[in-house]
Amino acid sequence: MSDLAIEFDGVGKTYPFFTLDHIHLRVPHGQIMGLIGPNGAGKSTTIRILMGLVQQDCGEVRVLGRRMPAEQIAAKWDIGFASEDMRLYEGMTIAWHMDFIRSIYPNWDAPYAQLLLKRFGLRAEQKIKGLSHGQRVKATLLLVLARRPRLLVLDEPTTGLDPVARHEVLKELTAVMTDEGRSILFSSHNTQDVEQISDQITFIDRGRIIDSMDKEGYLDRWRRLRLEVPLGIALPALPGIIAIRQDGRLAVATANAFAPDMANAYESTGARVRSIETMTLEEIFVANVEHSREQEVGA
Amino acid sequence: MNSRVIQTLILKDWRLHRTQILISLLAGVVSLALLQVKGETAFLVGSVWFFIALIVLGCMVPVSNVINERKKQNLAFLMSLPISALQYAISKMASTLGLFLMPWGVLVIAASTFVLSRGDIPKGIVPLMFILFGLPLVGFCLVAGAALVSESEGWTVAATIVSNSSYGLIWYFIIRNPAINGDLKSPVAVWSPPVLTILAEEAAAVALILGLTLYVQSRKREFV
Repeated sequence: MSDLAIEFDGVGKTYPFFTLDHIHLRVPHGQIMGLIGPNGAGKSTTIRILMGLVQQDCGEVRVLGRRMPAEQIAAKWDIGFASEDMRLYEGMTIAWHMDFIRSIYPNWDAPYAQLLLKRFGLRAEQKIKGLSHGQRVKATLLLVLARRPRLLVLDEPTTGLDPVARHEVLKELTAVMTDEGRSILFSSHNTQDVEQISDQITFIDRGRIIDSMDKEGYLDRWRRLRLEVPLGIALPALPGIIAIRQDGRLAVATANAFAPDMANAYESTGARVRSIETMTLEEIFVANVEHSREQEVGA
Repeated sequence: MNSRVIQTLILKDWRLHRTQILISLLAGVVSLALLQVKGETAFLVGSVWFFIALIVLGCMVPVSNVINERKKQNLAFLMSLPISALQYAISKMASTLGLFLMPWGVLVIAASTFVLSRGDIPKGIVPLMFILFGLPLVGFCLVAGAALVSESEGWTVAATIVSNSSYGLIWYFIIRNPAINGDLKSPVAVWSPPVLTILAEEAAAVALILGLTLYVQSRKREFV
């Protein structure tokens, strides 16, 4: 069996005003992959293709070793999918939904479902239409988690949640990963959530994957250098520096492949390095998207 | 294993819509009860209500069972289950058909039993009755097909308008057909070639619409 839970090879999909551009994506078993992108970047399209809900125009998708969409039925037995735009039946109770899912999945874990009801502060006899947005998200996650899926695919699950509900949901997702065989693909435009639980992070923008690596890799490789540049000195274009913003004598260089000798290289031109700062994932995401868009315009 | 999932989805639809079905049955039964009342007015009102109940049922079931599932964003929840797009379409067609055919069948049998048991009603009316019973079935198939294929409220409403506005016209032509109205007062049912042709045309329309719907569904590449 492949070591990969998810495998995208050159997957493309064209709509009148959007193109998913031959993307390659790999999520190993036992990993949490955060898929970060601005609104309209292609996160949901990627996930819909992954789930077999939309058929790709080109490329190959394998989920848990199954070809999608051809083998989607076999794959979906082991996938738990929840998306921000997914709704349960308003007129029915949580208990009705639990019975419905239990009647389909032989792996339904009833004691775990009861535990999740307590942890999420839900009552089985509540009707969906009487729940708050946060409670609805938690109810959906309960239905997904109690199936004990090998792969969780979550499309913006924390969107619209208050901080407490977000914390509860993320804590439960982290707890799920104590079983090393499980994998999660988690899309969001909220970098804090992704940073909190992900092992691997992929940035997507305008239908293209612009970067993908492990979380520590981003935090290690990205730096912001604050420089003081005397008049008449031009900063060289160093490899690994993706952007330089200069305002008078002060300049900020952003590195996506930081190396300590970059500071020496700038100082040798006469500039003074005032500080070298680590970047948050949000700053890395924004810088990455801006760089990608500048390259796109340049090309 | 997957036929079990399809069955579960069909049962789910039945549970969700059982109140609607009971209300339709009740409306049909009330209209049949009116037929029992002596006098031409009660018979006329009862007959009209009876057909209105069947026609409304034929429009209501596709909207609530197909369109609302998409409108209320339940489709992604269902499509996350171990089922293919075609299997979902089959389950939806089967449940929608069942949700209509069950009350339609009960009401048709009840109405036929009533007419056949009444000595004062000429049995020559029976072929016409069966032709008229078939029209809401064809109308339902048209609306359900539009709902399943387009998944759009607009197209379903358009199909409903086409279907509902056709009833009056079709009834007019059928009742004015001398081959049919000539036998209405006959003491026995006369299954003449024109009657059988119309019944066959209704059956062919049902088969054609359902077959086309399944064909188009099987070729869909996107489901949410």
